[in-house]
Amino acid sequence: MANPEEVAYEKFLEKVRRTVYIDELTPLATKPVIESAFNQFGTVENVCFLPNYLGPKELPLSVLVQMQTEDMAKEVISTVTQFPFMVAGMPRPVRASAGELEMFDNRPKKPGRKIRCRWMDRNDPDFDKAKKMKRLVRKHSAETSFMLKKQLEEAEKLSKQQAETAITHHKKYEMMDKLLYDGVAQKLADRYNMRSFPHR
Amino acid sequence: MEESVGAEGLEFKWGKKKGVGGKKKDVQFYESFTYDGDEYRLYDCVFVGDATEPDFAEPFVGMIIKIWDHTNKRANILGQVKLLWFFKPSEILPYLEGVPDVLPNELFLASGEGRGLANTNRLEAIGGKCSVLYISKEKRNPLPSDEEIKSTDFVFRRAFDVGSCKVVDMIDDKIAGVDVKFLLNRAGCEKQATAGQKIEADINGNSDSLKPNGPSASGSVKRIEDNSTESSDWKESSYGCKQEKGKGHNQLATKKSTLVEEMSYKDSSVQEGTTHNVHDSCEASGSRGNHCDGKAQESEVKKHFTKQRSMPAEERYSNSCEASGSRVNHSSFKKAQVNDVKTQLTKQKSMPAEERYRKESNGLDDRPQKKQKLDGYVTAPDGRHTTVLQNISSDGKRDTVSFKRPKDREEREQVPPEKASFIKKRDPGMSVSEGKDTKSATEKGLSKKPSFDGKLVNRAEDKILADDNERNYQVIEVSRRPDAGKSTWFRNLPWEEESMRDAEKRETLVLLQNLDPTYTSDEVEDIVYSALNEQCEARMMERTLVTTSHIGEALVIFKTREVAERVIRRVDEGCLLLSNGRPLVAAFAKITPPGKPSSFSGHIKLHKTQTRREIRDAVATSHCSQSNTLEFDMAMEWCLHRARHQHVTEKISKRQLEERNLLRINFKPKRP
Repeated sequence: MANPEEVAYEKFLEKVRRTVYIDELTPLATKPVIESAFNQFGTVENVCFLPNYLGPKELPLSVLVQMQTEDMAKEVISTVTQFPFMVAGMPRPVRASAGELEMFDNRPKKPGRKIRCRWMDRNDPDFDKAKKMKRLVRKHSAETSFMLKKQLEEAEKLSKQQAETAITHHKKYEMMDKLLYDGVAQKLADRYNMRSFPHR
Repeated sequence: MEESVGAEGLEFKWGKKKGVGGKKKDVQFYESFTYDGDEYRLYDCVFVGDATEPDFAEPFVGMIIKIWDHTNKRANILGQVKLLWFFKPSEILPYLEGVPDVLPNELFLASGEGRGLANTNRLEAIGGKCSVLYISKEKRNPLPSDEEIKSTDFVFRRAFDVGSCKVVDMIDDKIAGVDVKFLLNRAGCEKQATAGQKIEADINGNSDSLKPNGPSASGSVKRIEDNSTESSDWKESSYGCKQEKGKGHNQLATKKSTLVEEMSYKDSSVQEGTTHNVHDSCEASGSRGNHCDGKAQESEVKKHFTKQRSMPAEERYSNSCEASGSRVNHSSFKKAQVNDVKTQLTKQKSMPAEERYRKESNGLDDRPQKKQKLDGYVTAPDGRHTTVLQNISSDGKRDTVSFKRPKDREEREQVPPEKASFIKKRDPGMSVSEGKDTKSATEKGLSKKPSFDGKLVNRAEDKILADDNERNYQVIEVSRRPDAGKSTWFRNLPWEEESMRDAEKRETLVLLQNLDPTYTSDEVEDIVYSALNEQCEARMMERTLVTTSHIGEALVIFKTREVAERVIRRVDEGCLLLSNGRPLVAAFAKITPPGKPSSFSGHIKLHKTQTRREIRDAVATSHCSQSNTLEFDMAMEWCLHRARHQHVTEKISKRQLEERNLLRINFKPKRP
């Protein structure tokens, strides 16, 4: 009854349902890294990197992770949304959302869909509208890319700021560690008649 | 002694043997072979890929006119085929100026003489079968049924003379030494009948225009060879005819049968007269072939002779003569052997032969030479002059003949006036929804399109734009490209990043915007084909959460920069409206340079000493952070950053959608 095209499409939809879209990954993440990260939630069947041909180079990596079952996919999404989940680095967590049809490059054609098109006449009352629409499309994509650029800038700013904080904290802890280690803390405690925790 | 040769895991089997040849009898000819599950026979049409250039995976179409194999396996070659080429309109674009009604899936049979007629390829180059139907309404050709035309990959009704670079309406009696009867439609029983009828028509046609003993040579040669080699083709064909006659279910059957009788009568009557003659020349050619230079190809000549009855002995001989370089000898010989009326005919015939020889002598490399030729034609608008010059330099007479021929044919065979409408009716590549008017208009637009010539860019484009306007209000139903998905070997190749970058450098990469995001790459290719009549390779961009959700984008690679420019100009100046009221936007694409960024904002490295290796090996570093750590606080900051941007994105896309809705266009045309 169902023709092969429909069957293939149905199969594809099923695949989409158990696929998770993961974003804000470091470009250094590799397939084994991602697989091991998400194998904690179930079984990863496939990992598919989405290419970034048109966006800025600094754009975070996005992948499609295909889980074995739909439940696993749901589990991944709920956990990653509720808790900051970090893959191959910290502290920026990844983002997860349900996979969508348009995220697949090799998606099958929707069965039974007929596409039509026509060339518009210059005298068509809508011709001007169409021209405007074309400009609008360009404007919108420019807007989007500008927004993306801004976002990246902000991310970089945040990252720098955090790096500074982290390094300061790191230095602080290292200094404390060192003081405890070489006995200076102990000596000071003795001098001020304070209790101190002996190093190790 | 049918052996099956396993080659690299692909199933391969030789079919029926035809004979042996070559200097040391080390070349075996075949009638068919089975490769990767498909049986290929002589005169089957096949797709041929160019192994050296996989990125432009539009396969060539050729017809197998010879199959052979070297029995001494010194060369690691599976086998070789000789292919007679078909041209796609896109390959001979500069010469299509003024050629009316080029169908979307029409091919042009190579004819005449020159580079690109036919050449030798390795068996591995064959990429699958395709069907090509001859749809000319000439009397030699039984018209294929409508269903056949609908289901075929390609059709052809005209030939392209590779020597004079002209499209000719008539197919010659012989092309590349193959009798045209084999090239015409053959399908089952009907096919055989066709062949018979064809030969008959051949003879008839010849006797009409030439003296009766002109064609008899070829006819009797066939006969003789038949008798001597006990080969089956001929018999099959006549048998098929008889069958046809017996059944009588075809209206044409009676006609055919009388024709066959006539033909055999003619044959027998001339046989005695020419047998001796032909034998002589056949021997001559044989010995010639033997002691000509030691190339394998040369030795084939003889074999070829026994194989392909269609080739007259004289031509063979002249061929080998030419090979040895004695041009004078060749012509005098011809004169002596052939009576004056026949001269022209033989000359015509010898042309393909010479051509073939030339082709074969340098055509051993596995790369299909057609590619080269194609390049020449497309890039250099004056490639034609050089070809012609070549012709003149090699033989002055030939040139004039090749020019004369098409005219000749036209006179002889008046193209029936209803041809045009017939073709329109059967055009399967393009289905237009609204009646006949629409159809013819679209057709016109399409056929005008290929008349593009390097020099006439502007004029052609104006014409195209005018066509676009002419075709307004006419809804084009986007249908499958005629060659889409037919050959599993060449279609559906993965989009390769390399070829895309290459295309960007050559400026043939175009970004299409404002598509429906749900379209697939295939559908985009179909749209481009249906609306713009260009072949392309498309890749729909995946939508991610960072791209505009309502604008579908696709990268498209066109063949040449001119095509890309033309497409952009047409889309820009005109307005192509897609079904959901989206006008298409096209521009040259700028893609992100390759390579990964050195750092990723958001991940902090505390130790500068961390090497790449450590990063690579650090597989198990994914975790959920605990809420009492500094890491968690920072992660929260990132979540905030993300949430803020999600919010902004949503707002912007909401505003954008509103703006779009204001400009909403109804796809259904309004009448002013």
